[in-house]
Amino acid sequence: MARGRVLQRPALRWLLPAALALVLIVAVIASRAPLPGDPAVNAALERILLWHSLMPRFVTALISGAALGLSGLLFQQVLRNPIADASTLGIASGAQLALTVATVYAPALIAASRETTALAGGLVAVAIVLALAWRRKLDPVTVVLSGMVISLIAAALSATIVLAKGEYVLSLFIWGAGSLNQQSWDAPLMLVPRLVLGCVAAALLLRPLTLLALDDDSARSLGLALHGARILVLLVAVWLAATVTAEVGVIGFVGLAAPMIARAAGARRLRDLLIAAPFAGALLLSVTDSAVQLLGSATADLAPTGAATALIGGPLLLWMSRRMVQTVPPQLDGTRQGMARLRRPWLAIATIGCGLALLSVIALVLGRGPGGWSLATGALFADLLPFRAPRIIVAGTAGAMLAAAGTLMQRLTGNPLAGPEVLGVSAGGGLGLAVMLLLVPAIGPLTMLAGAAGGSFAVLLVMLLIAARPGYGPTRLLLAGIAMGALCMAIVSTVLAQGDMRSYALLLWLSGSTNRVGAFEAWTGLVACLLLVAPLFLFSRWLDILPLGDGVSRAIGLPRIASRLLPAASAALLTGIASLLIGPLSLVGLVGPHLARLSGFVQGRHQLAASAMLGAAVMVLADWLSRIVAFPYQVPVGLFAALIGGPYLIWLLSRGADRNG
Amino acid sequence: MAGPARSAAGPSVATVDWAVLETLLALGITPVAATELLQFREVAVEPAVPASVADLGLRGTVNFEMLRLVRPELIFISNFYASSEARLRLIAPVESFTIYARGVEPFAAAEQMTLALGRRLGAEEAAQRYLTETSAEFAALRGRLGALEGRPVIPINLGDARHFRVFGADSMFGEALARLGIANAWTESTSYSAMAPIGLEALARVPEAWIALIPPTPPDAMRILGRSAFWNALPNIAARRVLTLDAINPYGALPAARRFARQLVAALDHRGAASRG
Repeated sequence: MARGRVLQRPALRWLLPAALALVLIVAVIASRAPLPGDPAVNAALERILLWHSLMPRFVTALISGAALGLSGLLFQQVLRNPIADASTLGIASGAQLALTVATVYAPALIAASRETTALAGGLVAVAIVLALAWRRKLDPVTVVLSGMVISLIAAALSATIVLAKGEYVLSLFIWGAGSLNQQSWDAPLMLVPRLVLGCVAAALLLRPLTLLALDDDSARSLGLALHGARILVLLVAVWLAATVTAEVGVIGFVGLAAPMIARAAGARRLRDLLIAAPFAGALLLSVTDSAVQLLGSATADLAPTGAATALIGGPLLLWMSRRMVQTVPPQLDGTRQGMARLRRPWLAIATIGCGLALLSVIALVLGRGPGGWSLATGALFADLLPFRAPRIIVAGTAGAMLAAAGTLMQRLTGNPLAGPEVLGVSAGGGLGLAVMLLLVPAIGPLTMLAGAAGGSFAVLLVMLLIAARPGYGPTRLLLAGIAMGALCMAIVSTVLAQGDMRSYALLLWLSGSTNRVGAFEAWTGLVACLLLVAPLFLFSRWLDILPLGDGVSRAIGLPRIASRLLPAASAALLTGIASLLIGPLSLVGLVGPHLARLSGFVQGRHQLAASAMLGAAVMVLADWLSRIVAFPYQVPVGLFAALIGGPYLIWLLSRGADRNG
Repeated sequence: MAGPARSAAGPSVATVDWAVLETLLALGITPVAATELLQFREVAVEPAVPASVADLGLRGTVNFEMLRLVRPELIFISNFYASSEARLRLIAPVESFTIYARGVEPFAAAEQMTLALGRRLGAEEAAQRYLTETSAEFAALRGRLGALEGRPVIPINLGDARHFRVFGADSMFGEALARLGIANAWTESTSYSAMAPIGLEALARVPEAWIALIPPTPPDAMRILGRSAFWNALPNIAARRVLTLDAINPYGALPAARRFARQLVAALDHRGAASRG
């Protein structure tokens, strides 16, 4: 029978990787440096080390890899999304936020059960992600985009909490970078029954799982209780991923890679994949973990294993993005029925401009001091002006640039969840800064700027090369951005786990602060805003046509490459500069365009202008709040951006539910 | 608003850096403003900060407006705040010290800083006296280390139940150990002062050493370690060579180094008393 042949050949293909994993494990055991001191005492200690540290570590790597591989396969099957896994769905970030909150505010919860805490965070994150993507029929790109947005919000909140508290941060950073060090069998003993249960559940759900891969109508006509089966499979997958995450930390992208490797090795049918994907995940994580041990020193690994897998996963996602097709035709929700158009948009834009000016003036004069609230006038105003004016200008111009970039991205991709933050450019800035901190002993403002700018520019170049390649549509640009972002953040999280003052400097930048900006930054913001945003209005006709899709654009005669490349390059450049000024984690680029659209600005140029104004206003407000809420302590601006952006997304979601229902 | 508190002879000063803050207070100079006082009282603990000192908010996001309003005549920073120096110069002249940097020995740098602060603020005598006191205290504490039995010490901070951060020879704790005549069991290089995360199994490489636990220790870590076969098999743990210290600022100056030395001896005494009693 055909089945026998299909199974036989893949089985042979697995032999080599399995042998490699085994050889590496043996190499790790054999290459250990001998312990110092009394040989008689050491013999016992060596045995303990081998059986209670190294062995549990190998087993943990294998089991965690298998569980993540299985979980990734289940996600991909049930969401019909080849790029779904625990990291792209935001589960890891949700779990991390839950653990951060619990560590700082409710340590008893952590002591009681890390697993439950992480699971709760993961479940909430995945629920929000799926709800956000629901009205776009869980289109794979939108799902991953929502995952990225949720990850950003969670990261902003985590960074703020850690900064404000300052204590116990090391545990969270270690956990965030995903390390597999073990000194007992606790982790394997905890993970094995869960993996077995997950496998049994997957086997029992084999029929519904197979049918779920078909489209909804076919599945329903075959008598499947569609939603029930979906939710059940999702629960199993989230549980597996969250358990591994709680136990060993964030291990990125194994769930993404494992099913792909399984397919490449010849597994085609779901029944075979259910065996092959966990197997591939186990081998992948084991090989990676052995490699970081072999390449590290006697006492420390080269890098945390989780960060290392992300280094593999990022490029993989990049490569896979070439084959991704957007399953839902692009459309901007607001251009559908029911959206009131403004009759005199320019008048409305002028009104918003006046509001922004008023807000800026209030922010300039109203503040708190040692003696309480004060309206700064006269000498006091002159005293405070050199500190208040630059941050208001920087907040405003960065907000405007990000919102303009967001409008470009959303128009270009036709995806309402495409914000400039997912382009990977700002994460590239973080990477550049991290590299600078590692290389330069005493870091000053110029070296910081050079590092962040260099990183942003490198990522920008890669993105443009990708965008310019034939056949690379806007969807693929988004995916490439997410992949680059994940790659950069993996390295950043390694530096964060170093636990010295450099980690602190990086954390500060991550949390987003307007506090340290001066006249130089203010001028940079103003000039960049003027030079980069103003010319966009020349291309406003493209912005009206691009959301209608490739076919329409071509029929109308839009220059195919230029009409894509120019908006993408502008968006990346705007984002890069803005994130240098205020950090990477503001959601204003996502929120600004929506605010404009919902206010009734339909045409490209109107939306662009209104969105820039509104983005500036949101950031000026966020900056003012960050200054006064906890005076004299200043709250990172990223927190307020997340607090304004987060509820907005939920609101967007409830609107979507109304329409679907 | 109360008028700025002044030191005896010198100008009114503010400090952004904690190492400068504890040195100033140790010299009897009260700055008009300093950063993150809530956390300083919890982490550095001593010297006590008078209520007259204005809080400038988080060390990472210094509240420039507040600093401007308390009108210092001189501002002290460290190399970590180089990126804020230009802003601070708008308020008052800025002087910067470097204690923690690659290739800098923090103890000697802290001594230099203490003297420099004394010279700058007309408290040279106090500075000189503090240095003498410091040497005397270290000398006195040296004589109370018999219970160590000449073994090395490894100063660590538990990150979680599986990892730690270690303070190497180039950290303030490492230098304090050297001045107590104790060897630091961690002989590998660290990147100025601390290195993390290191798997707990690395402790098997220092079976002879005393483990000095520097807070904060995560709440669940000790409970998990208590039932770990590996942890209990470590010769240090089996022989109860563990010293639990109180909160200390790992990036402090001489007061922090002295506090570390005192804590170490106190923990040793406490352990001796416990095992006798």
